Amino acid sequence: MMEIRQLVIAGVALALVIGVAAVFFASGDPDGLESTALFVQGEKTLTGDSPEEGDPEAIGAGTFEYEAPMPDYTLGEDAGKPGEVMAIIAGIVISLVGVFAIARVASAGKA
Amino acid sequence: MHIPDAFLPIGQAIVYWIIALVFFALALRWAKRELNEARIPLVAVLAAGIFALQAFNLPIAMGTSGHLVGGALAAIVLGSPYGAVFILTLVLIIQGFIFGDGGITVMGANIINMGVIGGFVGFYSYKGLKAALGSPYISAGIAAWLACVIPALAASVELFIAGTFPLVPGLIAMGTYHAVIGVIEGAITAIALYLIATVRPDILELPAGAVAS
Repeated sequence: MMEIRQLVIAGVALALVIGVAAVFFASGDPDGLESTALFVQGEKTLTGDSPEEGDPEAIGAGTFEYEAPMPDYTLGEDAGKPGEVMAIIAGIVISLVGVFAIARVASAGKA
Repeated sequence: MHIPDAFLPIGQAIVYWIIALVFFALALRWAKRELNEARIPLVAVLAAGIFALQAFNLPIAMGTSGHLVGGALAAIVLGSPYGAVFILTLVLIIQGFIFGDGGITVMGANIINMGVIGGFVGFYSYKGLKAALGSPYISAGIAAWLACVIPALAASVELFIAGTFPLVPGLIAMGTYHAVIGVIEGAITAIALYLIATVRPDILELPAGAVAS
């Protein structure tokens, strides 16, 4: 049976492979919610292609704006694919370490 | 199905945040009771894996793409819907604040849809299906499909209440796209459960072959 330590290493390695592959192979098409937003705006048919320049968020009325440090899993347009790889690795590491730390704190202090 | 900030008025977004925080508080109580030195690394690895898989959008035709959400996977592996609430809340916070994926004001709604509804639908439909069908992997696949489609329909109702989407076209489109995306969710969930059950069957709260009480 695999030790926890090996399981963690294998799991993180798999996450890194999936994450880096996502940078190069993920589809650029809008996701289900964005496609629905385009559909209800009349920008696309239900089963047709999505428009290149469509703006799914045009239908929204909200005014709140927030500038994320690594927007859309990039380090900015100038950083290109290497920047995207760095961003996704950073996200995986932050998820791993952050959730580990919060789980440790949350589970501490029990009898 | 990450809702962006523009899609919900702030008053409604606050209501969703309050509901989400109640469920996260319950998830913290679950973590205090259930997590130990052996399971904490698994929770962290699951979070890292779900983060990576959520970044991998696969084409589903119809000019649309989709990725794993992971609510069913987390709930089934950890043996509790609160495991999904715990992991998905933290992953959504990281995605929203660091990567701008999913809004800030609307994060409560995203936590409710993907973490709470996804986790509860995934977990309880898995339990019921496994009792009926026997196979944990087929059960997990179907449960994960439901845990993708039902949160998508919930999101379209929330967006109808917000005045962003019309009700019927929103339900039809969200349902159609996520019925296909759910196949990805089901397949990856079943494969991941199989891999974990193969290397560490003891970690699973509901091990292969056993029917949950």
